[in-house]
Amino acid sequence: MANVVELPIVTPPLRSNWSPPQPSAKSIAPLQERRLLPAGPAYLAHVRRTIHNLTFEEHDK
Amino acid sequence: MTSTPRQNGTADAPIEVSSFPTVVGINFGNSYASIAVLTKEGSADCIANEDGERQIACAISFHGEETYIGNQAKHQLVKNSQNTITGFRNLLGKKFSEIPSDKLSVSAPVIQHPEIPDEPAYKVQVLQAAPSPLPTSATTTPAPSHAPTPRSEPIPATRFLTPSEVTSIFLKSLIQSAEDYLGKKVQGAVITVPDWFSDVQKSALQKAAADADIVILQLLEEAGAVAVTTTTGAQADALPHDRTQLIVDLGSSGLELALLSIREGLAYSLATISDHTVGGDFIDDRLIKFFAKDFTKKTKMPLTVAPATDAQDKRAEAKLRLAVEHTKRTLSASPGAATCSVESLKDGLDYTGTINRLRFDMEMRPIYSQVYTKVKEIVASAGIDLYDVDEIVYVGGSASLPGLDATLAEGFAESVVTPFTSGTVVGGGVGDPTTILARGCALQAKILVTLPDSTEEEREVKKAFTNGTEWAKAKATSKSIGLIFPEDGAEEGGLGGQWVPVLSRETALPARRTVQFDVDLGEGAGDKKVAFEVWEVKEGVKIEKSKPPPLELDDGEEEDEDEEEEEIETKEKTVDKDNLLTSLALVAKGCKSVNGRRKTRLEVQLLLSETGALEISAWEVGQSGKGEKVTASVSA
Ligand SMILES: Nc1ncnc2c1ncn2[C@@H]1O[C@H](COP(=O)(O)OP(=O)(O)OP(=O)(O)O)[C@@H](O)[C@H]1O
Ligand SMILES: [Mg+2]
Repeated sequence: MANVVELPIVTPPLRSNWSPPQPSAKSIAPLQERRLLPAGPAYLAHVRRTIHNLTFEEHDK
Repeated sequence: MTSTPRQNGTADAPIEVSSFPTVVGINFGNSYASIAVLTKEGSADCIANEDGERQIACAISFHGEETYIGNQAKHQLVKNSQNTITGFRNLLGKKFSEIPSDKLSVSAPVIQHPEIPDEPAYKVQVLQAAPSPLPTSATTTPAPSHAPTPRSEPIPATRFLTPSEVTSIFLKSLIQSAEDYLGKKVQGAVITVPDWFSDVQKSALQKAAADADIVILQLLEEAGAVAVTTTTGAQADALPHDRTQLIVDLGSSGLELALLSIREGLAYSLATISDHTVGGDFIDDRLIKFFAKDFTKKTKMPLTVAPATDAQDKRAEAKLRLAVEHTKRTLSASPGAATCSVESLKDGLDYTGTINRLRFDMEMRPIYSQVYTKVKEIVASAGIDLYDVDEIVYVGGSASLPGLDATLAEGFAESVVTPFTSGTVVGGGVGDPTTILARGCALQAKILVTLPDSTEEEREVKKAFTNGTEWAKAKATSKSIGLIFPEDGAEEGGLGGQWVPVLSRETALPARRTVQFDVDLGEGAGDKKVAFEVWEVKEGVKIEKSKPPPLELDDGEEEDEDEEEEEIETKEKTVDKDNLLTSLALVAKGCKSVNGRRKTRLEVQLLLSETGALEISAWEVGQSGKGEKVTASVSA
């Protein structure tokens, strides 16, 4: 299951004159290459999803 | 079979914890090893060997016909050092010509193996049992005799043992201890390797284990073992699942630092640093000097140690080194006085001295400072601030000293979690630095031993845990992503609304994060709109210097002569807008009135594919379930 983080916050009412602004970037900042530690249940879940080609949702089931 | 179950890939009944194959975790340090087994509840615990030791010295000693292993062997360093083998782990996979000659002094000599080219070997003298008399010697001797041969005296012999052979003997004894404890055969083990072990060293260890008939499930980097321990169990669940962790491993011979990004249990290293000029051995140097001085003061007998030159002083030094093991452990456990007692330290004179933690910490200040300097170095090398570190994990015997934590804590944010602040170090708690690695290995062994391997894909999953696997490669984000809820009257030049962090920088992809929180919709009736912007942000730490408030001195206390008033640094984390990625709006339908204000509860999910494509969705959650989902996407 997706882990839902409950935040102890209350966000404020929407600014009265807000309208959807134009995005300033087409995509997220460049990704970086990293090397995972091959350890723990999260790593197992990660490789299972990749190898069995599953989305998070499919893997949840 | 008509359908293929996804997990545990077989049609067998679900595995019960009690019927887990018997596996162990082994922390194999250069100086000490420890063994962990799985409990019925599925957690991991360190066990003691038959001598009652949890920290088992990596030492083997030959004395006559006897072979000692562990702390008993270490005690042989006083009178039988020539036949006592220590420090063998670090020689695994090394050629004789690669070994610096100054490394080889304290224990049995390491020489060129008499038969194998460029292979190091320990040379020890043993007594070999004489061959037992044969029932009849008719077939093997020219002069048959039916009288039993009298048992002859054991024969002195010279043995040459390669580091690999020594390792086999040692690992075998650890497994034996585990089997004695469990009453069952051990079916597999996960063993630690230092992060700096080369492939050659790893294969040498693999081979040594195989020669001892040990099934290795994985050779796990120490940082990996820490990651498993610190992301498993109730203690871990209470910590933020996305955090930056600093591992401070202070063992005998060195300091190993690693900075990990931990994201929902998925971990990778941001930076590592080693320093082999600090560690338990250097703590010992200072401590035995302290006691030697005290001895001289009390007895008027000169004693020079660390380094000692004459033979008597060398013997005394060896005795002190053994004795302070106990002193240090007492100091870690309690702030009161700890003793150091040595019978016949020098010239037949006994010695008993004490030191309390305050005095000890004073003596160790340079050691603690050196660790602190390295800590600052590693954090800087990763391009972050001490304030960005959420958790410190201590590993290694010498990291059990509270004085070290106290020194480091000064530089970190007050919120930083350490096992000392959470009180989990003492009494073998989950933060105990001497058991973390072995426990992590046992937990990892539990995962590995139940992996199915009936399909091609399942075998591929298994391979993802082998040395150098391609599956460990991942792409990660370089900036944090979160939401801004624009509000009226927001500060000029600020974020323009409330910032809700969702996905931290340094998160491996693919990633999913879901957050849930309340939204204030204001007063009055009618449809209410919820909207937020999705931003990438720059995070930093702002340092402000200020003069301290004038000190109120108690009556009669001397005014500090120091003219220069030191400035106080206050640090604060900052968030600055970088790029607007998209925005999302929905009409709130499930709002409730609370004290005249309308409110709703919102869930926002961020999905980042392995290529970096972003999908962000939001929906209301209420008693009646989930509201309509709205989604926006940003291409990779
Ligand atoms: N409770 C304690 N308090 C202080 N020091 C301790 C404690 N327990 C063990 N030590 C010291 O820790 C050191 C051993 O640490 P550890 O077992 O982590 O070493 P190691 O991993 O085998 O060695 P290294 O990593 O340096 O090769 C020794 O110097 C020992 O005296
Ligand atoms: Mg170590």
